[in-house]
Amino acid sequence: MRLLCCLPLLAAAAATVHASALTIQNARFTISSSDATQLRSEQLSLDSTSLPSLSLGSTDTLKLTFQVVEKDGGKGVQPHQTFLRFEANGEEGVQPVRVTSGGKAKFELNMAKPPTSLPPTSTSPVQVSLLLGSYKHSPASLPLFSLSIPPSAPVSPDSFAPLPEITHTFRPEQKVPPKFVSAVFSAIVIAPWVVLLGLWSTLRYSTPHLFSPHVLPFVSSLAAFEGLLLWYWIDLKLGQVLLYGALLGLVTVLTGKQALGAAGDWRVGKKQS
Amino acid sequence: MAGPKASTAASKPASSAVDPNAIHSLWKAYNDTTPSRLKLIDSFLVFLMLSGIAQFLYCILITNFPFNAFLAGFGSCVGQFVLTASLRTQVNPENRGEFKDVSPERAFADFALGSIVLHFFVFNFLG
Repeated sequence: MRLLCCLPLLAAAAATVHASALTIQNARFTISSSDATQLRSEQLSLDSTSLPSLSLGSTDTLKLTFQVVEKDGGKGVQPHQTFLRFEANGEEGVQPVRVTSGGKAKFELNMAKPPTSLPPTSTSPVQVSLLLGSYKHSPASLPLFSLSIPPSAPVSPDSFAPLPEITHTFRPEQKVPPKFVSAVFSAIVIAPWVVLLGLWSTLRYSTPHLFSPHVLPFVSSLAAFEGLLLWYWIDLKLGQVLLYGALLGLVTVLTGKQALGAAGDWRVGKKQS
Repeated sequence: MAGPKASTAASKPASSAVDPNAIHSLWKAYNDTTPSRLKLIDSFLVFLMLSGIAQFLYCILITNFPFNAFLAGFGSCVGQFVLTASLRTQVNPENRGEFKDVSPERAFADFALGSIVLHFFVFNFLG
């Protein structure tokens, strides 16, 4: 793209020796406010030593009309390239301008919808100049005027500054209640054991078959299961518990079948007798 | 099931609405007619209820700090209560008609298996 843009200009520069220069005439600008009242309307003259300064409000519109002509002869020319160049604070923006075959051009700058080519502005005015490029004529850069427009939103240096360090806030460490409270509630939680043992002792329920060879293996394998789970809590890994539990489960199933079968026989026998 | 529930519930509202004689006769009937093996189970149920209540009170009033331990303790109480209650309904001679296929031995085997599985999960929570 850039190469394509530059080629004609280079060609034009090479042709400067024999070409005549370009200039503009009948340049006129009009500043109107948003309700279409004309605020200022003047002829632009390139000859004056000091550039006219214009100022635009945030909703005003600038209209610029001119005609590109040859310097000697005054015939209207359509240059191959026509740009308006805005320059402010070292930043520049270039806006192409459409020119008719007769050389007439019109440009409108509406500050309510500023073009993207407008550079970021501060309080200092924007220098506006016209760039003309043509195969047959020497290129021209014509300063037009300086333009005061409302400053764009300032790029504050803070926006790229490091942000304050992120500090993670964790939940405060949970406190263990005082020893006394813990002790009291430990006693309360253990107290039901006393109730249980007291009730069982008043019942005086006898288990005559508990230590018989049929039942004891089943009870002890159930106890072994609880012991295995206790061991799991203290030390073991899950896989080990599942392995040992499977083995113990096999044993428990066999002993349980034997024990409960015997218990069923006792029960049925008791009923029959 | 009716025995311990009635006895614990009756201790509080005995003042006005409930006839104390009714509670007395209920308690007497429970004592006289319930088989002692069911009383054994009932006392275990009372124990589970009391320890569950104690742990829940601790969690509400003081702190739930080792929450996994609370979950393990309370969950084991509730789960064991459910298992024991179902064991009691199945071995109760008066419910014989409803559980024709389930012998008391079968009920106890189910209870043991369920308890072991429950305790396995509970020990996982203990941390």
